[in-house]
Amino acid sequence: MASWSCRLFRLKDPLLRGTHVLVSGTAAPTSICTESIGVPAVQFVRTIKSTTWFDEHLTEDNASFMRQVVSEDFKQMTADKLYPLKDEPWPRHEWQEGSRRVGLVAVKLGMMPIWTKSGDRHVVTLLQVKDCHVIKYLPKEEYDGTCPALLVGGQNCSPFQRSEESLELFRNAGVPPKQKVSTFRVTENAILKPGTPLYAAHFRPGQYVDVTAKTIGKGFQGVMKRWGFKGQPATHGQTKTHRRPGSLGPGGDPAKVHKGKKMPGQMGNDFDTAFGLKVWRVNNRYNILYVNGSVPGHKNCLVKVRDTRLPKWAGQTGNLPFPTFFRDGEEELAEDLYADDMFQYGEEEATTA
Amino acid sequence: MAACTRRAAEVLCLVRTLRQIQHQNERFISTSLPHLAAGGDGRPPKFTPPPKPVIVDKTQSEASLRRFLSPEFIAPRSRTSGLKFVVERKDMVQRRKVLNIPEFYVGSILAVSMKDPYANGKTNRFVGICTQRKGSGLGATFILRNIIDGQGVEICYEMYSPRIQAIEVLKLEKRLDENLMYLRDALPEYSTFDFDMKPAPHNPTADVPINTVKVRMKPKPWSKRWERPKFNFQGIRFDLCLTPEQMEHAQKWAQPWLEFDMMRHHDTAQLEEAIYKEVQAELSK
Repeated sequence: MASWSCRLFRLKDPLLRGTHVLVSGTAAPTSICTESIGVPAVQFVRTIKSTTWFDEHLTEDNASFMRQVVSEDFKQMTADKLYPLKDEPWPRHEWQEGSRRVGLVAVKLGMMPIWTKSGDRHVVTLLQVKDCHVIKYLPKEEYDGTCPALLVGGQNCSPFQRSEESLELFRNAGVPPKQKVSTFRVTENAILKPGTPLYAAHFRPGQYVDVTAKTIGKGFQGVMKRWGFKGQPATHGQTKTHRRPGSLGPGGDPAKVHKGKKMPGQMGNDFDTAFGLKVWRVNNRYNILYVNGSVPGHKNCLVKVRDTRLPKWAGQTGNLPFPTFFRDGEEELAEDLYADDMFQYGEEEATTA
Repeated sequence: MAACTRRAAEVLCLVRTLRQIQHQNERFISTSLPHLAAGGDGRPPKFTPPPKPVIVDKTQSEASLRRFLSPEFIAPRSRTSGLKFVVERKDMVQRRKVLNIPEFYVGSILAVSMKDPYANGKTNRFVGICTQRKGSGLGATFILRNIIDGQGVEICYEMYSPRIQAIEVLKLEKRLDENLMYLRDALPEYSTFDFDMKPAPHNPTADVPINTVKVRMKPKPWSKRWERPKFNFQGIRFDLCLTPEQMEHAQKWAQPWLEFDMMRHHDTAQLEEAIYKEVQAELSK
């Protein structure tokens, strides 16, 4: 479905040189006027948009066949990558002081209460690690010159609504296309081969993580909701002033409003990180992490989880699987791993509060 | 009552068929009162009651046992993925294997023992009427109300908290309303329950008895306007505390279109069936 669109006007009149005029909507293509007549020449760039849905020109049978083929393909890809230690693995290094290992991309499922052995109640967020694979390794020259990076993707998505360039990245790794791709800066000894699957057992109960996600968008919000200003009283003579910011700063000396002044504007729908969240429990059957407290983002959104960078828990990575947890290794994990002080539902009330 | 009349009708049917059989087979089976075989002294013979007919009632099978699924298993309508509920239900069932959470409704009288480090004997027992049941999943709660030394006390317990040691149903019954918040403004006699109350026996097969008591209220002002149609309380004696004009005035806040609003209808019957089967299977493991 081709459509003409007129993107940019450039007026050749010397008085208006340097100005650009934007015209929206479709206009009949006009001819380029010549300068000799003396009339201001108009030149515009024509674009022909010919994007279609993938099944727009396919029959129903063909479209369903495409979907079926693609999903079988994905299953095959995932199955091929299940045993990373068996097909030409990259060398595994030992943990050293100051190493940083990779993180995961997870889906936020919801929240539920949790009790400790002494009867205290906390709340946890469930994060499911769904189809998480390493996609690309960026050596430090390519990335930022200081340390290498690993691109990790989570949750498979359909290849039909994506451009060929983005699909190329996943094709090279041999994994299905992912909905979210995150970058993790790692140290040299923690790099992984592209295509390695990552599981929830990468994190263990008792450790602390940081979770980054896009917060729920609240739109354009006023200063009371966005920054927590107190506003003005409802009565006692206030004229049309109840939720306004009030004064914008000191008076004649700076004679300006400082940069970064808190004012109304877009709130939410931007990345935010929750630091230092304790992992209470890891479920290996469904690959779910139970992480303390709340996490930015709405339900079923994709979040980036990594070991915390807070200095209080700097040395925790020593006891954790390095560079990651490989499922075809020797250790067989129980279905549920619990933190030491967490109350497990199957047990009787053992401790006295 | 209905059961009695049904039973009596069955007996009569049986008697009639037995009499027919008697005539057909010409065998003498005495099913009626014995004829007055006059004794020698002319006095009426001693009354002997007829033998009780043995009726084998095959209708009371497993199917008639009351099926009950605790309301916190059914999640509210939301965009949460099904896996979260599956995982939560597993935990709930595991906890139920250790602590028996009995079937109860709003209006039943419960006794809850909870672990308390500051109480002598380390446990804390509270008896009260269940006024509300809220929440779904592991965070489900219920509120017990009682009046102790003239002071009304409401305690909100979390059903799956590890501090709860025992939940006992002293009297299983339902009320006319799903929510008994109005007991706060009712006369104290309706919220007072003895701590040493003995548990009343309840039938696992018959329907749960509904207590149709209509509660008498203290004079207005109340903590909330219980007469408003949004609450739709059936268990209050409004005729004793409000005039018909006040009742009519309260109807101004009625929203009669709400019951026809199809977007609010959420049929949970199929969901309940599936969850009930799953829970029973898990519990029996």
